[in-house]
Amino acid sequence: MNQSKLSIVDLTKRYAPGLDPAVDKLSMEVEEGHLVALLGPSGCGKTTTLRMVAGLMDPTAGSIIVDGRDITQTPVNKRGMGMVFQSYALFPHMDVAQNVAFGLQMRRVPPAEQSRRVAAALDMVKLGHLAKRKVRELSGGQQQRIALARALVVEPTLLLLDEPLSNLDAKLRETMRSEIRSIQQRTRATTLFVTHDQDEALDMADRIAVMNGGLIEQYDSPSVIYERPNTRFVADFIGQANFLTASVVADNGPTASGGATAGGASERNYTVDVDGLGRYGATGHPGFVGSTRELVVRPHRLRVSLEARGGEAGIAGTIVGVSYTGDTVGFSVRVGERTLQAQFMTSSAAVPRPGDSAYLSWNPSDAYLLPGNPEVAAA
Amino acid sequence: MTTTQTQERPGLRAGNTPGSLEKAKARRDRRTYTALLIPAILGLLVSFVLPLAYMIRMSFNHGEADGVIIEGFTLDSYIQPLSDPFYWKVTLDTFQMGVVVGVVCVALSYPITLFLARTTSKYKSALLAIAIAPLLTSAVVRTYGWMVILGSNGLVNSSLEALGLISAPLKLTNNMLGVQIGLVEISMPYAILAMISGFGRLNPQLEEAAGSLGASKFQIFTKVTLPLTLPGVLTGFLMVFVLSISTFITPTLLGGGSVQVLATEIYDQTTGLLNWPFAAALSVILLVLFGAVVAVYQRLTKKLGG
Amino acid sequence: MRSYTKYGMAATALMMASALALSACGNTSSGSDAASATSGEVDVIAYSGIWQDQYTAAVIKPFQAKYPNIKINFASKRSSADMLSALQGQKSNPNTDVAIMDQSVSESGNKQGLFDKVDASAVANLANVPDKFRNKDGYGPVAMLDAIGVVYDTKAFPTAPASWNALWDKSTCGKVNVVAPPSLLGISLTAITSSMEGEDYTKSIDKGVDKLKQLAPCIQTFAPNPDEYQNVITGQTVIGLGQNARGQYYADQSGKKIGVAFPKEGTAYQINTINLVKGAPHSAAAKTFINYALSAEAQEAFAKALFYAPSVSNAKLPADVQARVVPTDGSLKILPLDVDFLASVRDKWTETWKRQIITKQ
Repeated sequence: MNQSKLSIVDLTKRYAPGLDPAVDKLSMEVEEGHLVALLGPSGCGKTTTLRMVAGLMDPTAGSIIVDGRDITQTPVNKRGMGMVFQSYALFPHMDVAQNVAFGLQMRRVPPAEQSRRVAAALDMVKLGHLAKRKVRELSGGQQQRIALARALVVEPTLLLLDEPLSNLDAKLRETMRSEIRSIQQRTRATTLFVTHDQDEALDMADRIAVMNGGLIEQYDSPSVIYERPNTRFVADFIGQANFLTASVVADNGPTASGGATAGGASERNYTVDVDGLGRYGATGHPGFVGSTRELVVRPHRLRVSLEARGGEAGIAGTIVGVSYTGDTVGFSVRVGERTLQAQFMTSSAAVPRPGDSAYLSWNPSDAYLLPGNPEVAAA
Repeated sequence: MTTTQTQERPGLRAGNTPGSLEKAKARRDRRTYTALLIPAILGLLVSFVLPLAYMIRMSFNHGEADGVIIEGFTLDSYIQPLSDPFYWKVTLDTFQMGVVVGVVCVALSYPITLFLARTTSKYKSALLAIAIAPLLTSAVVRTYGWMVILGSNGLVNSSLEALGLISAPLKLTNNMLGVQIGLVEISMPYAILAMISGFGRLNPQLEEAAGSLGASKFQIFTKVTLPLTLPGVLTGFLMVFVLSISTFITPTLLGGGSVQVLATEIYDQTTGLLNWPFAAALSVILLVLFGAVVAVYQRLTKKLGG
Repeated sequence: MRSYTKYGMAATALMMASALALSACGNTSSGSDAASATSGEVDVIAYSGIWQDQYTAAVIKPFQAKYPNIKINFASKRSSADMLSALQGQKSNPNTDVAIMDQSVSESGNKQGLFDKVDASAVANLANVPDKFRNKDGYGPVAMLDAIGVVYDTKAFPTAPASWNALWDKSTCGKVNVVAPPSLLGISLTAITSSMEGEDYTKSIDKGVDKLKQLAPCIQTFAPNPDEYQNVITGQTVIGLGQNARGQYYADQSGKKIGVAFPKEGTAYQINTINLVKGAPHSAAAKTFINYALSAEAQEAFAKALFYAPSVSNAKLPADVQARVVPTDGSLKILPLDVDFLASVRDKWTETWKRQIITKQ
C-alpha cells in the first residue's frame, strides 16, 4: 500500500568502459506528490540521473520503477513524463498554445478537449492572454512558465525539472520558486528537480538528495539535511559550516529533544575534547565514545562573547575580520591554526573590531558529530 | 540620443554643446564607415554592376549572323526568344532541370547535413571538411569523372551487366538524366553548406522535449526537426537551383549536345554563333527567372521565420 | 553626408579614368617593336590541345631555332569562333599578331576588318601557294587543309566503312556520334546527307534533314566529350564524324583502335588560314613567321606530325604520309562549301538541328 511513486534501484551510468561511472549504483524512493531535489555540484551525476529517469539516456545498469512498473526499457515517448528543460526547449516554430497543446496532440486528445486543457494550463501559469504569441516574443520567465504548462498539461506521471531557474535573474528566480512550488502542490505532481542551488532545494523540496561523484551522500528532508548532515560534504555544500576535530570523551545520555537517528536510536549528548582547546558539549549518534570525529557548528549557532564569562569560558580567539551586510554581521575568529566563522543578526550594540579578543561557545545541541565520515585522526 | 534632437540654445557656441559634439562624432563615424566600404563598392561596381549594365545594354543591340554587332536600340533579341516556342521549351526545361536537381540534391544532402549538424563527435569539423572537400576539385574534373562512371562501358553499366540485371547498357549520359546526376553530385557540397548554416534553430533539447511529450521518432522528425530545418532546406534548394540553371559546364559535357538549356544556349550563342545581343537577352531572361525564384524564396522564408 | 557621397563618386570616376588611361599608354609603347623583322616577339593565336603541341614541335621550335631573336607566344583557343571573339575584343588595340583559324571564320574576320592583307613582298613563300589556296582579296592564305571523315572502331569495322550510310546502320544504333552545327563537322554532314538524298543543298536541305531525323534516335552524342576520337577509343561510340588529321594521329596513339576514312560519296574540307592581325604590334616579325609557316620545310613537318595537307606546291611528303593526308589533287570528291555560303547557312542550319533533329532523340 505504501508504495513509492518512483523507485530507482542501483542505477548506474558509465559513459565509457574504464571511466568512473557518472552515476554509481544510485537508489532512492520518491513518494507520491513529493517534490524531490537532486542537489549537487556540476558533474555530480544529478542531470544524468534525471535524463535516465526521463528516458533520454539509457542506464548502464539498474532499474527505474514508476507505480510499480519497471520502465527502464520504455522509450522516452511512452513514459508519460513531463519535462522542463534548462533552456525551456519551447518549439520556436509554434505559438504558445501550439507548444502547450503538443503533448495532447501526441496523445490524440480530441481537439475540443485539447483547447480546454491548454486554456486551463495557461491560466494555471497566469499566461492565458499570451496563447497566440510567438515563443521568441516571450520573456525568460514567461517561457519558463509556458514550459511548465506544456509539461503539466499532459498530467504527467512524473514532472522532471532540469535546472529550471538557472537562466532567470535573481529576483525572478525567487518568484518562480514559490510559483513552481505552489503549482506543484496544487497539481500534486510528483516532481524530480535538478539544481545546484542549495537555497532553491531547501526552499522548494520535500526531500533533498545531495549528490556527489555519482553517489547520494544524503537523502532527507531539508531540515535534517541542514541540521544533521551525514558527511562533511553535505554540511559544507548546504549552508556554511565550521569544522572542528573532536575526541568524544563521555556519553551524557539521550538528548532532551529526543531526536532520532536514521537507525531509530535516539541521539546522545556527549562531552568532546575539541582540538585540545577544552571540553565542550556536542550531539551525535550513539556509540561514539572513544572515537575522533568531525564536529560541525553553523556560523550563526556560534556564540561569541568579548570577555570570558565564569566557568563556561569558551574557546579563546581573536577577531580577524568583520563583514557587515546590514541584516547580519559576520566575524572571522582566529583560533590557533583555524579561522572560524560566526554570524549574527545585527543589533544596535557596538560592533567589535578586528584585533579584539573573543570567546566562542555553543549549545551542545548545535554542535553535531558527523556520522557518515570515517573517523578522522586526532589533530 | 535625445540630446542630439534638442535645439541649441542661443548664446552657446556650437561645438561646445554635448549635442553637437555627439553629432560631430556620429559624422566622423559615418565617414569612417563609408571610407571602409569604398573598396568593396568599387570591386562590386567593376566586377558586377558594370558587366551587368554592359550585358543589358548589349541585349538591345542587333546581332548579325556573322558575329557583327550593330549598335542601336532594338527589342529584336527579346522578341525572338519570347515569340518562339522553342525558347519557351528551353526555358521550361531549364526550370524543370533546376527543380529536379534541387529537390533530389537537397533530399540526398539532408540526412548528411542533419548528421553533421547534430553530431557531437570530436571529428565533427573533419567530417564537415570531408563533406565539402569535393569543392577542392573543379566541377569540370568531377563532370569528366561522371562521364567515365556513367558511360556505356562505365562503372555503373558494367556492374549492372556483370550482375546480369541488364543486357544492353543503359543510357545514363549524353542526356538529361546524366546531366541531372552530375549536377546533383556537384551541387551537394553547396547544399550541405547552405543547409547547415540554416539549421541553427535545431537544438537537441527541442527533439528531446518532443520525445518526452510523447512524440515518436517519426513524429519528432515531421513535427519538430523538419519544420525547424525548413528555412535551411529552402536556402539549400535555392542555392542548388540557381547553381544548376546557371552552369553550362555540366549540361555541355554530360548532355552530349542534346540537353538544351538556357545556359548552354547562351554559351552557343556567344561562342558558336557569335550573336552577343541574343545571348545577352537570354541572360537577362535567365536573370529574371532567378529573380522570380528568389522572390518566392523570400516570401516563403519570411513566412517560415515569422 | 550627401556631399560626401558625391565626392566619393567623383573619386571613383577619376580613378577609373586614370586606370583606363594607364592601360592605353601601356600598349602604345610596345609599338616600337613593329619595325624589326628578325627580333622581338610574335603573338600567335591558334587551336589548343594536340594541335598546339604538334604545331609547336613541328613549326614553332624550328622557327625559333632559325630566328633566335624572335619569341613566339602561343595563345590557344578551343575553336576558331573563340579566337574570333578574342580578336573582336581587342580590335581597337590588338595584342595578337597572327591568327591561324578556320577559313570560314577568318573570312568573317576579313570582312570585319580584323586582318591585314598579306603580300608577296614581305612573305616570299606566298609565291608557292597555288591560286586556289590564296585569298582573292589578298588576305591571309590557306596554311593547311584537312577534311571531314568517318571515324570508326577498328574492332567493330575490320574494314573501313565505305559509305556515309554506315552511320544509319541499325547494328550500331546508339553508338553513333556526330558533332552538331555550328561545328563544321555537323554543317558538312548536313550538306553531305542532303547531297546523298539528291538535293542541291545550296537551295534546300529538307530531304537531308528528314534523313538526319531518322538518325537522331541512334545518336549517342551530338557533342562528344572530351572529343569524338576518345569516344570511339573508349567504346562509348563505334562510329561517327571526325577530322582526318586528328583521326590519323589518334589511330597511331591508340594502337589503331580507331580508324578514319573518306566515304565514297565525298566529303568537305576543313581549311585553316594564316592571318595577319590588323594593327599587329609586331607586324614585321609576324610576317617573318607567316613566311616560315608557308615554307616547304614547315609544311612538311606539320604534315608528318599531325597529317594536315600542305597548302604549298613545293612541299614533298613521303608516300606513307601522303597516303594519310587529305588529297588536294582532285582524287577525292569534295563538296564545295564555300565560305560565303557557310556564313549564310551556319545560323539557319544550327537552328534546324536544334529544333528538328536533336529534339527527335
